[in-house]
Amino acid sequence: MIPKISRVLTLILIATAAIILTGCNKSNEAAPASAPQQKQFVIGMSQCNLGEPWRVHMNADIAAAAAKHPELNVIFKDAQNDTLQQRAQVEEFVSSKVDLIIISPKEAQPLTEPVADAVQAGIPVIVLDRRLLGTNYTCFIGADNKKIGYAAGKWIVNALGGHGNVVELMGLQTSTPGQDRHSGFMAAIAGTDIKVIFSADMQWLEPNARQEMESALSRFDSIDLVYAHNDDGAHGAYLAAKAAGRDKQMKFVGIDALPQEGVAYVQQGILDATFQYPTGGAQAIDTALKILHGEAVPQEITLNTRLFTKDTVTQGGQELP
Amino acid sequence: MSAISKQFDGNQVLQDVQLEVHEGHVHILAGENGAGKSTLIKILAGIYSDYEGRIEISGKEVRPQSPLEASALGIAVIHQELSLVGPMSVADNMFLGHPLARGGFVQKTKQEAGAAKSLGLLGLDLDVRQPIEQFPIGVRQMIEIAKALHQNARIIVMDEPTSALNAPEAEKLFALIQSLKQRGCGIIYISHKMEEIERLADRITVLRDGQWIGTAPAAELPPPKLIQWMIGREISEQFPRHSQHPGSERLRLENFSVFPEGISRRPVVRDISLSVHAGEIVGIGGLQGSGASELFLGLFGGYGASVRGNLHLDGNEVHLNSPKQAITNGVALLTNDRKATGLVLSQSITANATLADLFRLSPWGWRRPVREQAAAQTTTGLLHLRAASLGMEVGALSGGNQQKVALAKWLQTRPKLLLLDEPTRGIDIGAKREIYQQMNEWIAQGIAILLITSEMPELLMLSDRIIVLHRGVVSAEFSREQATPEVVLAAAMGNKPSLADGNHKVYE
Amino acid sequence: MSDKSKNPLLRAFASPAGRAFLALLLVLLLGVIFNGDSAFFKIGTHRDALRQASVYGILACGMTLVIISGGIDLAVGSLLALTAVCCAKMAIHWNWSGWLTVPACLLVGALCGSVSGFITARLRIQPFIATLSMMVLARGLAKYVSGGMKVSTAIMNPDGTYRYVDVPHFFRLVDSRILGGNLSVVTLIFAACVALAWLLMAKHRWGSYLYAIGGNEEASRLSGVPVVAAKMMAYVFSGIFAAVAGICQAAQEQQGDPEAGAGYELMAIAMVVIGGTSLMGGRGGIGLTLLGVLTIGYLDKILSINAVPEAGRLMLTGIIIVVAVLTQRRKRT
Repeated sequence: MIPKISRVLTLILIATAAIILTGCNKSNEAAPASAPQQKQFVIGMSQCNLGEPWRVHMNADIAAAAAKHPELNVIFKDAQNDTLQQRAQVEEFVSSKVDLIIISPKEAQPLTEPVADAVQAGIPVIVLDRRLLGTNYTCFIGADNKKIGYAAGKWIVNALGGHGNVVELMGLQTSTPGQDRHSGFMAAIAGTDIKVIFSADMQWLEPNARQEMESALSRFDSIDLVYAHNDDGAHGAYLAAKAAGRDKQMKFVGIDALPQEGVAYVQQGILDATFQYPTGGAQAIDTALKILHGEAVPQEITLNTRLFTKDTVTQGGQELP
Repeated sequence: MSAISKQFDGNQVLQDVQLEVHEGHVHILAGENGAGKSTLIKILAGIYSDYEGRIEISGKEVRPQSPLEASALGIAVIHQELSLVGPMSVADNMFLGHPLARGGFVQKTKQEAGAAKSLGLLGLDLDVRQPIEQFPIGVRQMIEIAKALHQNARIIVMDEPTSALNAPEAEKLFALIQSLKQRGCGIIYISHKMEEIERLADRITVLRDGQWIGTAPAAELPPPKLIQWMIGREISEQFPRHSQHPGSERLRLENFSVFPEGISRRPVVRDISLSVHAGEIVGIGGLQGSGASELFLGLFGGYGASVRGNLHLDGNEVHLNSPKQAITNGVALLTNDRKATGLVLSQSITANATLADLFRLSPWGWRRPVREQAAAQTTTGLLHLRAASLGMEVGALSGGNQQKVALAKWLQTRPKLLLLDEPTRGIDIGAKREIYQQMNEWIAQGIAILLITSEMPELLMLSDRIIVLHRGVVSAEFSREQATPEVVLAAAMGNKPSLADGNHKVYE
Repeated sequence: MSDKSKNPLLRAFASPAGRAFLALLLVLLLGVIFNGDSAFFKIGTHRDALRQASVYGILACGMTLVIISGGIDLAVGSLLALTAVCCAKMAIHWNWSGWLTVPACLLVGALCGSVSGFITARLRIQPFIATLSMMVLARGLAKYVSGGMKVSTAIMNPDGTYRYVDVPHFFRLVDSRILGGNLSVVTLIFAACVALAWLLMAKHRWGSYLYAIGGNEEASRLSGVPVVAAKMMAYVFSGIFAAVAGICQAAQEQQGDPEAGAGYELMAIAMVVIGGTSLMGGRGGIGLTLLGVLTIGYLDKILSINAVPEAGRLMLTGIIIVVAVLTQRRKRT
């Protein structure tokens, strides 16, 4: 008796699921057909996670850029930091025959093949921010953390006149951005009289940065500048220095320049400089349009960072080469 | 089994016991609680391998070192606590310990077929892939027997198998035993129930206090003689009896039933009616499975509202739906397992002694350590508790002192009705006497006491009246003068006393 | 053996409090030896060590109550984030005064705690599972209320630009220092939480109930102890303490971060355990937890002023926790 009922229920569940799924796909394809004036394009966008505010910003940038082109319909999917889910999303986009895929991958290795398959199936793929292996994708758009670190280092050398004591608060050193922002910075200050007197891994977290800054403050009487790998870290360091009454003695430099964080901090006088880590959202849409209209695009587009200081913040920063 | 002796930490639990079981016979192993029956069986089952004496099967000496060895020898034991694994399927359970495997992989279909076949031999037809816990306890017991059979057991031991069964299920079991006999199995059956013994026994062996008293064919051992063997003749008068001055009625139960597993399941205690007066000790007699402890727990609100019937305290009808309500109404329950349900072993004497009365001892919620100390001092002093300091952890005390702390806790609540469940279990003779003394003081103060004890001498000596329970109902009631070990035990085993002895009540 | 018991000093160190104190002394000794260019001897370092341990310590106060009652509360980190977000929203965006915001946030913490308590005590679901669910739920709520971004003094206008408001006054108050700049207000708040938790556990009937329940729940029930109500109270208080921690966090960051507090519950549990409170329940106390908080807090600080690299820190902390717990072991009688 019992097993029979559970079998029936399972069948009903499968049937319902099948109906819903096929219905979903149908509704996706229905959209383009409803606006016959211009050719409609469907773009599938897979974001590795929406837990980081920077990625929320990336999606917002894409949406804002796409809004200016009514013939574009972007479908956003969140992989919730799960590589397998992101694989599945790419495969779903391929089976529903979207016109273009934009992907910000979680990891390179597991997603290289699904993306190659998509390209094989005739769907162009734009990769944002994190690289894949090899070259089997249409276009990679990303910023170069080494360049940004280097630019930050150069600005710091300039601001300090070539000598001074610097505290470096690092992002997760097991992640590429953390390593690159460190190595770029170190390259820029090489050969100068800038000394890194204290460095600690604060794992991108503000409370950790604050604790480390407090330790630095108690050890060193003379600190000229704090270079943090992200704005959160710089903010935490600032608060620590402020509590010690020493915030006016030093400069604070961060990276990311999100409008409500880093840029706001510069505007409020908390940070002296921040460097934008561009999301590439707007460029992705521009490049997508080019691809969809049959134009050729370079395989690598490196985004430039923008420098935000008190002087340039109102103009949306200064683009650096 | 011959000349079997066993010690536990210097305590002689079995002395020179013998047991002989024949093919196709049911051999009843009888004795009071603590007589040593379980220990003997555990030796046979390979659970205890450290014993003196000799076990022979079909003439060959064996010495099972583990349950697995015992079952390889053809011995199967169906314990009271069934050894089945709930969430596993019937088939997997049957093959537990010796799965049908090839190269390490269990052959599921083969196992299922084997299990179905064994069950079929017993006339059972069920889906062997279902988890065991789906089946009611009666069926589970059958499965346990099938498992024993399946392992080609020649000697099957059943320890109180009908304790969890209802009448129709017990009938099925008896039919099964008949078919087992026909197959040539030898069955050792432990039971307290006279009606079962009369029905099933081919031979009976009686143990008392670890000694072998005797073995005889069933025909030569009618119930009265059996009871005599179980009791023995000497009941030492350990303690002077108190004078009886019963006062007004303190507790009255009418058609009281207790449903430990919820109202929709079977009651463990059914339609009990009794009354206890102030200054009176009423003893509840009964063997394992009689439901006495559950009665107390249900009375005390330990099962919440899963009770039915009327409860009157000092003439007023009350509903005790929680221990807190019971305590507020002046009822106290000393449980039969002080370590598990009576005391918080990690806490101090003072903490334990004041636990049931904290509400009163802490006005507005704030504790008064001085008050608590004084209260604990008083109550433990009355009980002559000897301890280095009241701040000691209760877990470090001896059994007797621990029991005194538990009693002190209840004294603190100024009870009007004391439910004592095995108050002297695991306690040395000196502490026992002190507790008896205390009980006399209490009834002198007008407290009513309901007492459960499995020690016959204690029951007879302390009780003004004895109410005997058998399988959840009142079997008989005796006044102090009428109560003898024989009639009490007989009633506890469900044997109806002859109507020729007047002046006592019999319950059909 | 008997010589040891005659020596009063050794006997003192044999008690749980003594052992916890010993662990703390050892860590402080480490600090004296590895003093980071004399940084350990500056009063500022101690003020900061206490400050950074305070938020964890506040969580540990609530955690002690719950663990002694025989349970565990994995949700406190997420509750910290939820209340930090609510606090920032109320105080910064809606411009509520501190007198309104603080009670409101405490209420949020208490409500969530009561849900955890209800599921655990009344529905009798294992505390681990019940509070794990609340942990996930509260984190989700925090992200929902905050819109996935930090709630900060940069408020977005409808046209997409930002306007900046002042940091609320009571935020500055909480993040300030007193006694000539030598004591953080947050540390004071932590001290107040310790005092409150101690009062509850040592001086109030509820504390006795929690100890009894943790030691033997059935015996307590049969002694008339209101087990369900007492357990629920433990979780409600844990939620309230988590809310206090959230307010402190928001004030110190000057924003409400929905990602805050991740992993803080494990830190709180570690502090409670190192102090000597048993995870089985029924034994321990707030005093022990305080010692545990200080031990781990100082350890963190010493590693920080010596700029020990990340990998080393993790390994050292792990080893020291194990060693500390081993020395806590009571002799089996």
